[in-house]
Amino acid sequence: MTIVVGHPTRTHDRSAVSLGAMLARSLSTDLLVVSVVPAQWPTLVAGNVDREYAAWAHEVGAAAVADAERVLAEVAGDLEARAVAVPGRSVPAALLEQARSVDAGLVVVGSAADGPWERVALGSTADHLLHSAHVPVAVAPRGFATHAVPRFTRATCAFRADRASAEVLRRTTEICASAGAAVRIATFGVLGKTMYPPEVRGEQDVLASFVEQAEAALREAAAATGLREVDHVVATGPDWASAVGRLEWRHDDVLVLGSSPRGVLARVFIGSHASRIIRHSPVPVVVVPES
Amino acid sequence: MSADTGTGSTLGQQLVRRKPIKLQSGPHDGPDLKRSFGTFQLMMFGVGATVGTGIFFVLQEAVPDSGPAVIISFLVAGLGAGLSALCYAEVASAIPVSGSTYSYAYHALGELVAVVIAACVLLEYGVSSAAVAVGWSGYFNELLDNVFGFSLPDALSYSPIPYEDNTTGLINLPAVVLVMMCMVLLIRGASESARVNTVMVLIKLGVLLMFVVIGLTAWNGDHFDGFWDKGAAGISAAAGTIFFSFIGLDAVSTAGEEVRDPQKALPRAIMGALAVVVTVYVLVAIAGLAAQPASEFSDPEQQDAGLAVILENVTGHAAWGTVLAAGAVISIFSVTLVTLYGQTRILFAIGRDGMLPERFSSVNPRTLTPTFNTIVVAIVVALIGGFVPADYLWDTVSIGTLMAFIVVAVGVIVLRRTQPDLERPFRVPLFPFVPILTVAVCIYILSGLAGVTWLIFGSWLLVVLAFYFLWGRRHAALNRGVVADTEVPQS
Repeated sequence: MTIVVGHPTRTHDRSAVSLGAMLARSLSTDLLVVSVVPAQWPTLVAGNVDREYAAWAHEVGAAAVADAERVLAEVAGDLEARAVAVPGRSVPAALLEQARSVDAGLVVVGSAADGPWERVALGSTADHLLHSAHVPVAVAPRGFATHAVPRFTRATCAFRADRASAEVLRRTTEICASAGAAVRIATFGVLGKTMYPPEVRGEQDVLASFVEQAEAALREAAAATGLREVDHVVATGPDWASAVGRLEWRHDDVLVLGSSPRGVLARVFIGSHASRIIRHSPVPVVVVPES
Repeated sequence: MSADTGTGSTLGQQLVRRKPIKLQSGPHDGPDLKRSFGTFQLMMFGVGATVGTGIFFVLQEAVPDSGPAVIISFLVAGLGAGLSALCYAEVASAIPVSGSTYSYAYHALGELVAVVIAACVLLEYGVSSAAVAVGWSGYFNELLDNVFGFSLPDALSYSPIPYEDNTTGLINLPAVVLVMMCMVLLIRGASESARVNTVMVLIKLGVLLMFVVIGLTAWNGDHFDGFWDKGAAGISAAAGTIFFSFIGLDAVSTAGEEVRDPQKALPRAIMGALAVVVTVYVLVAIAGLAAQPASEFSDPEQQDAGLAVILENVTGHAAWGTVLAAGAVISIFSVTLVTLYGQTRILFAIGRDGMLPERFSSVNPRTLTPTFNTIVVAIVVALIGGFVPADYLWDTVSIGTLMAFIVVAVGVIVLRRTQPDLERPFRVPLFPFVPILTVAVCIYILSGLAGVTWLIFGSWLLVVLAFYFLWGRRHAALNRGVVADTEVPQS
């Protein structure tokens, strides 16, 4: 299963290629680094006026491929990897097209250029991919580099105690077993907004019962994995940042989440809990489409 | 070739310096990107790109000038377009990585000529987008009126600038809306697929054929009396206006790289496309004249949606006119999209050469399109389409195109002298007779254009030259020696 990496043109963001290399090494597979350049019209235009535009796109593509090859030489010298530039009308659509053509098992992209350093920030390409990809999508935190992280050693699977979540956990467990990585299961809970003036203190009780339920569900899920040692944890806080921050993270972790079924609901879900968890993740995130 | 990089060059040297001819394998080398056409396919592209730019509107402009001899004007304009296309094909094959007459001129004739041509090409594409949008607006209103019994008030359908005794209003709103719609499509990266292109060609040819058949049923030979009454001046004036409707034939000329055996395929495709287009145009003109006397073409009622109105007059009911208007509305939409696209990409090329601010050649990484450039073009074109009557626009487009074609023909001769060893997959037959005849025919057609057209052209040229001398000259990419490609080795 090849890993397709989206490498932006005209930037020097190496994070996606770095993450792609780390995952490819862990999963013993090869890499295809793809840069998407503007496409020429398929029909002839009078006067051939888009020649320069096409030539420029070609130059940009060639520069992006050279750049990707430089980064690959540094971070993926031990892997089978190649870089290509393909024309497209939209970056996510072209990446998925490539993923289909090489039957890729994963698409890797970087974070938005204006996101905070060492955090995952969903740019328009990543966001679009999360809502339409048929394969898992990995997003690298801004500035992610693999120099110190040749492989991931643990996957933290965000767990929601439903069937879809259990399926994501099952797949994560399988992949981790073949990659020789540990599995940790985590459920995140956030304290609801309290009333003002704070006459009623119900939210704290609600959260406490949520934690209780979640821990029971996690124990069950951990047992179901069939692995002997599965770490599981409920992380809570007054907001998502502190809930995610409360977990202990290692530099060779990845966070795995499921994305809801596609369509309007997916937008709602991705737009609420999952995207908040993603936004505060200090480690690479892999979003698995739930079947 | 000796291209001065411009660093420390005098103004004189800068004006005549040429952009080195790049040697490159073409813009794409991916297997799925190489477009490859056969002669017939290329011919149909030429027909598709040409038919529809002007024929839906041009009779009402040209017949009042020439009378029934408009048929001769069509032949003259067609001759000019065909000859130009042959010259264009040689230059395009010799400099395969360039697009538009502007960049050919920069490679072959130097910076100053390129700037002059840039002015012409901006008229050719920008103003023709506006002119076509105005024409579309007329057919759109006709369609609304026929189908829903409602049309926009004059204030929202006509420009405020008067032309002879035509209706005036505040703004031509449909033209503005059309341009804005095309802008959104282009920003989103829409492109015309081969299938859409084919469908559009069929629609255009279908409705025109319908017009011809119905027009001929109302045959009245008396309408052709006084064929020569308007004389040679009338014929050349009409040819000048009509020339506009032959724009697009160069879609064939510039495909040298993409056809098998260009030396054979190109002239065949050009001549084939021209034969089809001229036949269709002449038939439309004959059918129009058969259906009504020449004097009626200037009727204000036919000011817009002319062909549809003729059909309604001939048949006595609106159905046929509605079909024609619907065909025109659909197909002219795509013409506007293509010409706007062309305009943005030419500005992109000029921006890359440093003669326009860099923003014109910047591409939005999210949409993968030159967004700023597209918005500027659309706003300018929408303003022209919304506030200037089409009557001023057709001839302005023609003058820009004719000037550009003259330069291309001269470019053929100049390139043969300055760079005899340059590889030319296609060579103009009967050199130097064809390029010289091209220039002569173009000059003859130019001679028929009205004084106001020359005034508009002259003023515009001055604006562009002023911009070049004040800004572009200092920022040209050649000043920095920015030429990313190797020169063609001279054997």
